[in-house]
Formats: sequence, C-alpha cells, structure tokens
Amino acid sequence: MAKRHGDDIAVCLVALVLACTLIFLVVPIIISAGMSFDARPYLAPFPPPDLSLQWYERFFSDPYMLRGLRTSLVLALTATCVSTAIGTVTAFVIDRYEFRGKEVMTAFFLSPLVVPGVVVGFALLLFLSFVGVFEGFARLLAGHVIITIPYTIRTTLAGLVGIPPSLSEAALSLGATERQAFWDITFPLAKTGIVAGAVFAFAFSMDDVAVSMFLTDPTTYTLPVALISMMRANFDLSIAAAALLLIGVTLALILVLDRVVGLDKVIGQGIYRG
Amino acid sequence: MKATRTTMLLLVPACAAFVLLLVLPLLNIVNESFKFFEPGRVGSAEDAPYTLLNYSELFSAAYFNYYLTTFRLGFLASTIALAIGFPMAYVVARMRWELGRKLSIGFLIALMFLSVLVRVYSLELTFGAVGVLRPVLRFLDISQNDRTYTEWVVIAGLLHYIIPMSALTLVGTIQNVNPRLAEAAMSLGAARWKAHLSVTVPLSIRGILSAFLISYTLCISAFVVPMVLGKGRVLFVSNLIYNRFSEIANYPGGSSLSVMLLVVSLLIVYLISRISIRRWEGG
Repeated sequence: MAKRHGDDIAVCLVALVLACTLIFLVVPIIISAGMSFDARPYLAPFPPPDLSLQWYERFFSDPYMLRGLRTSLVLALTATCVSTAIGTVTAFVIDRYEFRGKEVMTAFFLSPLVVPGVVVGFALLLFLSFVGVFEGFARLLAGHVIITIPYTIRTTLAGLVGIPPSLSEAALSLGATERQAFWDITFPLAKTGIVAGAVFAFAFSMDDVAVSMFLTDPTTYTLPVALISMMRANFDLSIAAAALLLIGVTLALILVLDRVVGLDKVIGQGIYRG
Repeated sequence: MKATRTTMLLLVPACAAFVLLLVLPLLNIVNESFKFFEPGRVGSAEDAPYTLLNYSELFSAAYFNYYLTTFRLGFLASTIALAIGFPMAYVVARMRWELGRKLSIGFLIALMFLSVLVRVYSLELTFGAVGVLRPVLRFLDISQNDRTYTEWVVIAGLLHYIIPMSALTLVGTIQNVNPRLAEAAMSLGAARWKAHLSVTVPLSIRGILSAFLISYTLCISAFVVPMVLGKGRVLFVSNLIYNRFSEIANYPGGSSLSVMLLVVSLLIVYLISRISIRRWEGG
C-alpha cells in the first residue's frame, strides 16, 4: 500500500508542476493580448476596466512602426524567395548526385544554425562596411538570407529523402529530358518540403533581432528592431497591439505548416505508440 | 547518379552565398580580433599593429561577471527546462487520444514559433513594474529592482522558449522507448516513479543530453531576452558584443568576444554530434 501512496503523491506533484508550467507559458500571452484592448490612456495594471481599439489605431498611425512593418514584410518575402530558390536547388543536387566531399558540404550548409545570431550580425556588419556595402536593405537581405538558407536546405532535403530516385529514372528512361523529369516528377513530390522550408524561413526572418540590430540604418529597420527600441524607451501598449498582430502571423504560419506537412510529421511518429 | 559538371554548377549560388556572407565575414572578425584598438576611434586603424591584447582582455575581471551570468543562468534554465520538459513530453508521447496528441504538439510548435518580442513583452507585462505579480511581490517583500529577481525574470524568458523546445525534442525520444519495459518494472514491484527513473530516463539519456545541450547553446547565445528583461543589470556575452559595437565602437574587442562565443558554441555542438553519432553506432 505504501507503494501506491508514494505513486499518488508523485503523480500529483508532476501534474501540479505541469499545470504551473502551462500557466506560466500561456497566461503572460493572454495578459498582453488583453492589455492591447485597454481603454485607459496609460499603462496600468491588468485587467483593463474598459475595452477599446485605441492602441491598434495608435500602432497603425505611427509612421515609425509602419515603416518597420513594411520593411519587415518586403524583407521577409524577398529573403524567403532567395533562400527557397537557393535551398531547393542545393538540396536537390545533394540528394540526387554523388560527388566528393558531399557530407562535409552538407554539414557546412547547415552550419549557420549553430553560429550565434549576434556573431553573424557583427561579422557581416564589419565585412560589408569593409567591402563598401552601406545600403540598409542590401545589408539586411544579406543577413536574412544567410540565416534562413539552412532551414530551406534542411527541410527540402528531408522532403526529398522520401522520394525514390527510381521515379525520375523511370521518366528518364521513357524519354524525358532531365529538366522535364525534374519539373514533372521530382519537383511536385518535393513541394511539401520546399513549402515547409519557406514557412520556416519567413518565420525566422520576421522574428530576427540579433542579426538585424547590426545591419539597420536610420531609415531602413525592421519591425522587431523598431519594437525593441520602443520597448527600451517606454513600455507603450501599442507594442501589445503589435504583439497580437505577430501572434496572428504565427498562428497563420502554423496552419499553413499543418496543411502542407501535418504537425505530427514535424517531430516524427516514433516506434512505440500508446 | 554521378554528378556532371553542369549539375555541380547548381551548387554555385549556395557556395557563393556561404563564402561571401559567412566564411569571409567570420575570417574577417578573426583578423580584426588581433588588431590593436585605440580608444576613441571607430574600429581599428587600417594599419593597426597585430596584438594579443584583445584576447588577454577576455580574462579580465570586468568580463568575468558576464561569462558567469551567461553560463550560470543558461545552465539553470536548461536544467529546469529538462526537468519540466521530460514529464511533459512523456504525457504527450503516451497520449492515446489522437486529437489531444495533435493539439498538444500543435500547441508546443505554436509556442516555439512565437515571436521573441511577444515573449519578452508579455513576460515584462506580467513580472514587470505594472505586472500582475506586483501585489504578490509586495506581499512577499521582494523588490523588483533586486538583482536576484531580475535574474529569475531572465531565466523565465529563456524558459519560455526552451521548455516547449525540449519537450518537442523529447517526444520523439520517448516514443522510441518501449513502454512495456517500465510496465515490467512496475509489475515486478517497482513504484511508478521509480520505474520511470530507473528505466525510462536511462533509456532516453542520449535524447535528454542532446536536448540539454541544444537548450544550453540557445541560452548562452540569447540576445533579446537579457537585453529587455535584464534591464541593463543582467547582461549576457551577446549583449556585451553589441555594446562594444554600439557604445564604444571597439570592433577588435567585440571581435575577440565573438570568436570566443563562437568557439564555445561550436564545442557544444561538437558534443551534441558525438552523442547522436554514438546513438547510431551503439544502438
């Protein structure tokens, strides 16, 4: 009976810790979502007594924020396109062809994942100034491409691994050119991995601060950088409005990911279930 | 298929991007880190002599506090994340209810995708000056300007990302541990918690170690969390690098710090890869 007793206590304790963790993970987000609708004209304790959209109005009428938002969107889209194009081609060659130094090259292409963002940003800043690139958007694009390429290569590779090469070989032996075999057979099958990579690239580009902080100029800056400098100056609630917008973007990306890949696939099924 | 010359040409864009945007910039900061810095300048002079001063400076007492803060808080956060992430992953991995499983995984992924700005802002609204916890803190007589309190707020900021991350990493690990083994231990008389501690945990030790090391690399290179939640009192090495750049324009000093942070991160990643390689070799 003593054993049962110990078990009950252990289970209760673990359940309590997990419940507290869930509260810790979720409640702050609910608070900032709630505060973004606060009708009081100043920052005051939660919960807001009245609701209004004033912080959203303020966010959308602030030219500084809007400029950041526009740069962020254009930058994320451009970086995603460039990274997805380069990543797809590279992953395709790595997956389908044999050549010397393939393993080393693959590891090398994934390496930016382990370089701290601050180091990437600082190194790029010094190097780009050294070679004479001072234009803000070009600098930011350089930084965002190098931090997003690893994601596009990795997910595209993961998508390609499941496709047997015999399919495109069959197309080739039936008279298709290599180009036709790629566009008609391999590409449609690899689309899942490519889109997942693009989603990751977009999300990371939209969210980056560490690299972008170094590469902005007074007129070209991203929304996260604008929000950070605002957060350090004063804790205005229009940041809460921006936060809720960013949560919306996150949820939209998750839905796309689920539609295209299925969330279960992201972490794999494992051998033993239930 | 054997690669032809034309297919190798397809690798040119990626190689060019990596050499131009990663290799050369990193080599450049290695070079810069050996240059002599004259205070008051922006960066080093073009003909500055080479010196080891920037590296000996890394060992000065003033820097030591930053390393201590970074590595200590990173270690605390990664350990807590593991202690919470493991049972959390266990619950998700063994969930029989298919929709619940899918929703939990979706929930964890959504938390990982969440913008770091939303995280720090929400935590600041909760634990900060107008936070919900303010009356509780006043009741417990904890000052919000207290350094220990600020440190825990920074740890909370790190945990908000690495708890879902370690849980997701460990779901895959736990799924590969046969549940019958722990059941066997229990039917032979072991208490449930003891069965898990002596069967499930050891069998997933490699996954646990790599989850820990991944969390640790992320923590020690954290930038936004200490910058906003640390309020200038709790700073990490990455913040120090940024300050070298933005406040005193000491590029050589920032470079030697960057090289050090990079080497530490690479060492940890090397450890991770050793662990996962052994998993494939040793079963």
